[in-house]
Amino acid sequence: MTKHIKAVDWLPQATMGALAACSISLAAPAMAQEVYPSADETLDWTIAFGPGGGNDIMARTIIDILTKYELYPGDISAENRAGGSGAVGWGYLYGQDGDPYGISTTSGSFVTTPLQADTPWQPEDFTPVALLATDDLVLVVNGDSEIQNIEQFIEMAKANPMNIGGTGTVNVDFIVPTLFAQAAGFEFDYVSFNSMADQTTALLSGALDSMVGNPGEILGLIESGELRPLVYSGQSTPAALGDVPTMGEVGYDIGVSMPRGLILPPNAPEAAQQWWIGTMEKVVETPEWAEYIASNTLTPTVIYGEEFRDFLVRTKNNFEQVLKSVGAID
Amino acid sequence: MDIFSDLIMGLSIAITPINLLYLLIGAAIGMIVGVIPGFGPSAGLAILLPMTFGMDPIGAIMMLAAIYYGAMYGGTITSILLNTPGESATVASTFDGFPLAKNGRAGPALVMQAVASFVGGTVGVILITLLAPMFAQVSRSFGPPEYFLLALMGMLTLIVMIGENWRLGIVSALIGFALGTVGVDLETGQGRYTFGSAELIGGIYFIPIAIGLFGLGELFYAFYQGLHRTGTGGIVNYDNEERFWPTRLDWMSTRMTMARQSVLGFVVGVIPGAGATIASLMAYSTERSLSKNPENFGKGEMAGLVAPETANNAASSGAMIPLLTLGIPGSASTAVLLAAFLLWGLRPGPLFMEQNPELAWGLIASMYLGNMALLAISIFAIPLFVQIIKVPYRILGPTVVVVCALGTFSVNASFVELYIMFAAGIAGFFMRLYGFSAAALVLALVLGPLAEEALRQTLAISRGSFAIFVERPASLWIIAVTVVLVVCLPLLNRFGAKAQAARKSGV
Repeated sequence: MTKHIKAVDWLPQATMGALAACSISLAAPAMAQEVYPSADETLDWTIAFGPGGGNDIMARTIIDILTKYELYPGDISAENRAGGSGAVGWGYLYGQDGDPYGISTTSGSFVTTPLQADTPWQPEDFTPVALLATDDLVLVVNGDSEIQNIEQFIEMAKANPMNIGGTGTVNVDFIVPTLFAQAAGFEFDYVSFNSMADQTTALLSGALDSMVGNPGEILGLIESGELRPLVYSGQSTPAALGDVPTMGEVGYDIGVSMPRGLILPPNAPEAAQQWWIGTMEKVVETPEWAEYIASNTLTPTVIYGEEFRDFLVRTKNNFEQVLKSVGAID
Repeated sequence: MDIFSDLIMGLSIAITPINLLYLLIGAAIGMIVGVIPGFGPSAGLAILLPMTFGMDPIGAIMMLAAIYYGAMYGGTITSILLNTPGESATVASTFDGFPLAKNGRAGPALVMQAVASFVGGTVGVILITLLAPMFAQVSRSFGPPEYFLLALMGMLTLIVMIGENWRLGIVSALIGFALGTVGVDLETGQGRYTFGSAELIGGIYFIPIAIGLFGLGELFYAFYQGLHRTGTGGIVNYDNEERFWPTRLDWMSTRMTMARQSVLGFVVGVIPGAGATIASLMAYSTERSLSKNPENFGKGEMAGLVAPETANNAASSGAMIPLLTLGIPGSASTAVLLAAFLLWGLRPGPLFMEQNPELAWGLIASMYLGNMALLAISIFAIPLFVQIIKVPYRILGPTVVVVCALGTFSVNASFVELYIMFAAGIAGFFMRLYGFSAAALVLALVLGPLAEEALRQTLAISRGSFAIFVERPASLWIIAVTVVLVVCLPLLNRFGAKAQAARKSGV
């Protein structure tokens, strides 16, 4: 409103009237909520990371599908609001409280960043639309290793603790092996790296015994036999990994995954939430989506609405518990 | 020969008009991206990546790769003219590049850096062509112990940089190490000096500090000297048009430097993660040790500019080896290239060159052409860049501030980094005034966290035993090379100088 008050000082009366009318008409659809989504409104899509990253690719894939199948009537404006491991972008969405035309995609940092920094928001504050897929991890050893399968790995780790490399500490890379080791009853030394590239180099050089990582980046090395996959943390193994068992299949299900989903600002209207749930049901059925899942080796895991919120809370609590027990966070 | 038929096949793919066009566009964008301080190749690549989605993968990858190595050509221009390195790999190029420009030799310095970049880049591609499988073995023998030793070796070069003012130099380096501790501790996951700020989780980024300390610090210092009142002419002089081309002496004195540093730079570049920064530093310090007149280094010695320039370009070629043969990106820029490969459903790895010969060899062939194009673009563009020096300082100064601010902001769109840049600018002014070493600070900021993380990873793996450093062949090699570079070469030099002096006095 302040902008309009300032305008009074110098704008001719007639223009003022027009401006006031204009601002009313702009506000009208948001208040009325009769037709959602309105073709006149631009959807403000926040991508909380830079171009080329996992979150960016997912957001742009969904936008492409929405456009191709004409599922969204208005314009979509995708903005990369990167910074602070997602804090900036999701902070922006948090500020769009109640707005049905703000939207964003989530990734692992959606859960971990609030655990590390004083963000004003928590994952459960937002209006959940859907969990679409999860990022899961594969445990691999060097191709030269004598360990052929996960049973052998557990057996050897029980006798003589091994080290497992991963990216970061406040991360699923640390949580997954920790929970798995607790369930299977072995101990290990976790070695934290800055990036998947660093840890892969360390494993290939023979410095590390094993590591966990997202299969997408190391499929080339797995295919050529330089790395040997042992077990997968998701609910079903991606086709590219062949007959590698899941943690559940070897009897130690841990139920932790990184959420790739879709959220609206906090307190978004029920109608908007329902519309997006209905639309995403169509999106996940398209061949383009199937290709995205396959080429990024994600685990398709689809749940909607409040169940997604429960999933987020569960994941966050799991993380908090493990990280507190090792003293990584207070 | 297999290699030559492969290469010719690659050339035939690269040389189609449309691919050549993409290659030229990529090279030109790379130059521009490199020239803007802060706006390095990784940021440029990330922003341009979405635009290539609709393109044919071969053309797109050639273009993206050209942006990547083209930025190395452009990055040095501001190092020389404005003392502002565009990225960490061109910090070493300011040591002698800027003094050269100050001495009125901006023209020759720019030409020599373009030639050095070309030689480094081209020798790098030749080595990829001939020896990719062999170097893939080098790439895969590096783990945390080796990275620690490499970072240590890089830090030893700090001593060279600190020079005579060693007390102030040590203080500068310590400030750099202290800044490097900010961010989430990799090992425990606890925040260090982040004060709960999400912006500081990832630590203090190198770019705003370097741009502030070097670029803005130099500007403020020039204002302090009253240069804005002197009308035309900037910080550097360019009095004589005839002195545009390098002299015979420039060529002769740097021949061996180019030869040595293209190989050294390539080998360091092959090591994932070590990359162009460490290569350029090692190049500078080895050349200084080998030089007949090391006392001229830092005062405008041509070899002191040619060495890091050759090495950082050779290293950027070298970094393609782990990317193509193992699917491991060695730097932020090659990580974006890897993301591009993955987007097209390509999986770089040991089988990549066999499974996608057209793409792999097309890319390699395009790198030969790209380096030639970049040399040509540089030579044509240098007279334009030299004009910058003639801009009145009261106009140039504020423009540089704006460009630096835009460049810094464009990387992460972070206001905190802008504040850091300006704060570093003010600090840089006082450091300049009192003789502290901005180079030592910046390098400590880059190498400190690298060394810390690698050491802690090493000790976590070895369960606290230092014996791991002598148990691995690659570590032993690095220790041996370090001893040769740091102990033997300077000693030999000293004896050589003494012998010469003795001979002279004898005569």
